[in-house]
Amino acid sequence: MASEPQSPGLREVYDYTEGNGYPGDQQSLRLRRVSSRVSNQNHPQFDCSSTSTPEEEDEEGDSGPPRDIRATALPMAVKRAVRQVQQMQVPVVSRRESWKRKNTKTLRKLKESGRGVLSFFSLWSKTLQKIGGNFGGGVQSFFLFLRFLVVLNFVSFLLIAGFVLIPSIVFRSVEASVVNSTGPEECMDYEPNPQGLVLFYNYFLDLLSGTGFMEYSYLFYGYYNNTMVEDSKFSYNIPLAYLFTAVFYFIFCLICIIARMGTAARVVVATGGSTVGEYSMIVFTSWDYGCLGDGATKLKQKNIHYRLQVDLEEESIKKRAAALSMAQKVVLYFLRVFMCLVSFGLIIAAFYGIFAATEFSQLKSEQKGILGLFFEYLPSIAITAGNFVVPLLCDQIALVERYAPSTTVIVALLRSVFLRLVSLGVLLFTLWRQITCDGATNSEECKLCQYNHKVYPCWETRVGQEMYKLTLFDLLINIAVLVLVEFPRRMVVDNWSNKLAQWVGRQEFVVAANVLALVYGQTVVWTGALFCPLLPLINTIKFILLFYFKKITLFYNCRPALKTFRSSTSTFFFLVVLLFGWGLATVVMIYSLAQIRPSMGCGPFRFFSSMWSIVPMSFYNLSHTTQEFLFFIGSQSFSIPLFALSCVVMCYFIALASVYGKSVALLRRQLKLEGRDKQFLVKQIESLSQRHQILRHTAGAHN
Amino acid sequence: MGNKQTTFTDEQLEAFQDCTFFTRKEILRLHGRYRELAPHLVPLDYTNNPDIKVPLALIVTMPELKENPFRDRIVETFSEDGHGNLSFNDFVDMFSALCETSPRELKTIYAFKIYDFNRDSFICKDDMKRTLNKLTKGELTPEEVTLVCDKSIEEADLDGDSKLSFSDFENMVSKAPDFLSNFHVRI
Repeated sequence: MASEPQSPGLREVYDYTEGNGYPGDQQSLRLRRVSSRVSNQNHPQFDCSSTSTPEEEDEEGDSGPPRDIRATALPMAVKRAVRQVQQMQVPVVSRRESWKRKNTKTLRKLKESGRGVLSFFSLWSKTLQKIGGNFGGGVQSFFLFLRFLVVLNFVSFLLIAGFVLIPSIVFRSVEASVVNSTGPEECMDYEPNPQGLVLFYNYFLDLLSGTGFMEYSYLFYGYYNNTMVEDSKFSYNIPLAYLFTAVFYFIFCLICIIARMGTAARVVVATGGSTVGEYSMIVFTSWDYGCLGDGATKLKQKNIHYRLQVDLEEESIKKRAAALSMAQKVVLYFLRVFMCLVSFGLIIAAFYGIFAATEFSQLKSEQKGILGLFFEYLPSIAITAGNFVVPLLCDQIALVERYAPSTTVIVALLRSVFLRLVSLGVLLFTLWRQITCDGATNSEECKLCQYNHKVYPCWETRVGQEMYKLTLFDLLINIAVLVLVEFPRRMVVDNWSNKLAQWVGRQEFVVAANVLALVYGQTVVWTGALFCPLLPLINTIKFILLFYFKKITLFYNCRPALKTFRSSTSTFFFLVVLLFGWGLATVVMIYSLAQIRPSMGCGPFRFFSSMWSIVPMSFYNLSHTTQEFLFFIGSQSFSIPLFALSCVVMCYFIALASVYGKSVALLRRQLKLEGRDKQFLVKQIESLSQRHQILRHTAGAHN
Repeated sequence: MGNKQTTFTDEQLEAFQDCTFFTRKEILRLHGRYRELAPHLVPLDYTNNPDIKVPLALIVTMPELKENPFRDRIVETFSEDGHGNLSFNDFVDMFSALCETSPRELKTIYAFKIYDFNRDSFICKDDMKRTLNKLTKGELTPEEVTLVCDKSIEEADLDGDSKLSFSDFENMVSKAPDFLSNFHVRI
């Protein structure tokens, strides 16, 4: 069973006859290299003509024979017979080979049992399977994304708890010393505990807005002390830990997202994302074989029918667009530009609304009671209202623009993403304006402490409270919509056989809008994690609740969307949008670390000029050699060679990618040529056999 | 590895494990499902390799296959006699080829066989029309069906013989991102 070196694209077939007669297989088995995937086309009986040898059996032996039997397209009885033969040949192989093979086999069994144990731990896998079977891959990818975010938030919380929360609790209970320093008395004036008699319902209001008893707690930045413990064998610097944990948390999230994008991107790049082959792909690969249930399959059929119709319609639209006269084209483009401006105008109006609401809310922050709660939540209400109304209007605008259906979907999504993320940015910008008096640190209110200490004695806690309120409000709105809109809608549609009710129809589970809501929620958490360390934990709980609520509404109230989201490219798209949110949060974090002066009345950074300045301070406490080493890494003699090396590596990968692309094109051309060769040969064979028959006839006639 | 089961000998289970993508537990579970289809026909004891075949009509009542428009073709492809009567070997083989860990090449080979209705190793226009009709349950008009079939063959046919050979099919499927996840029956 020796293997010969092989040039790519050619198939080499060896004849290899076996002495034993297999049940049902009288032909000789043909061995061929695993790399040539195509089976012999001249045999009408596809089954019995191929089996593949282990490629590196003589060289490495790590892909043992059993693996290759499984991947061959033979009937089971033949496979078992082949396996028997291969097992009988084992004594011929050297002892080292057989030891290796046994090793790989036990390793494989261990891996499979390990996988079984791990699948026990993977959350919600049965539920996700059920969702995928009944509603398709697009909806399932939403729930997979949600699960990913739950795990990410939980691990982040463990990180923060381990490095910041637990040491703080320990040091506080031990009453470790707090570093004091001098500073303007007014700046250090911070009284978060409620004075006097606190009414019972105030506790509930405080829970919802993060004020009162909740403000001076481990939930917010203001409670943490700048304890720096230094024993003989143990030293712990809380401010430094706080800073590094926050930075590491961001880096960790980035790595997780990119790792997950890697797998999704591979699929997108491999298939090229081209629209060539649309029809054939729909016909042959669109039916989900895992689809269960009668209703789901009918829907799947309608979906496929719809997709084919959409494609046919897109073709006709393209033809019509090409047939437009010059004047009509000009009118259409003018209309599109105008509608684009209108949608921009709507979005900017939403931003102004959020800006005004935030300013007003901060103005009225002294209000008590229910009205006070309403004013506190005004920014959240404005953002949610904007995120609801503006996409609706943009949908109407899209009808006028008359893009192709696929372009319409992409444009709508981009607008929504822009709206959501930038509205959060507007909120943060408004807060910044008020905290730093419009950036002018020499203005009257900010001159003393470099931030507005009268309105914001502890501004980090206030920012944390805003993010906390946004998260909570998001969850409450989801529950409210579920209870007040979706369940009644389903009951109305099911029990009231009115034409209007039927036209409205059951709720559709729109994947894109739900994913954007998740991305928004996660961005809020990232922005607020520096100021509200327990926010990842709250978010984990929120997302777990959201999973169950969305599942309930999916199964009871929704019908699957007719316009589906491609599940493979959609995962990649979700992660790209998440990355945008991460970018926004990083900008906020870097700015707060480096530019704004931390509050002097609270928090672990109270006596530093900026949060980052603790790093240089602790740097000089390190040992001399460590300092030298770190200086060296930051110096030019290290970074310039590193930069040059990374350029070289990048050029290598770019060259590799272009070579792969070229070889793919070459192989495709070779496939075409081989097909034509085959046709030519078949024609030759036919003409030769015809001539042969004619000769025989004439010879026979002569005799 | 310690359960006392008398359905298969250890040697048989090893053979099944090596020839399919299933573990011991899954193979025993599959046997349970197979027996469920025809309890009077299928014996509990398979140690002496009985030659029992469950007919097509019973196999397609399985919930995993019931709603699939290609259920008859799937069962026929994996049956040895070509008429859809599956022995246990064929039954396990079928679900192994369609399971999650089955490689792309294997799935492509079997997908091609399933869609090749007249079994001539080519997907001709007629095969395609039948595939499309099964897929959309006759909701497209005949002109639309012809149009879609013509366009599909135009897109996928590389050697210009107006039918799809295996290499054309394989090339087209390799560009489809959803093929692996769609061509998957969960059992």
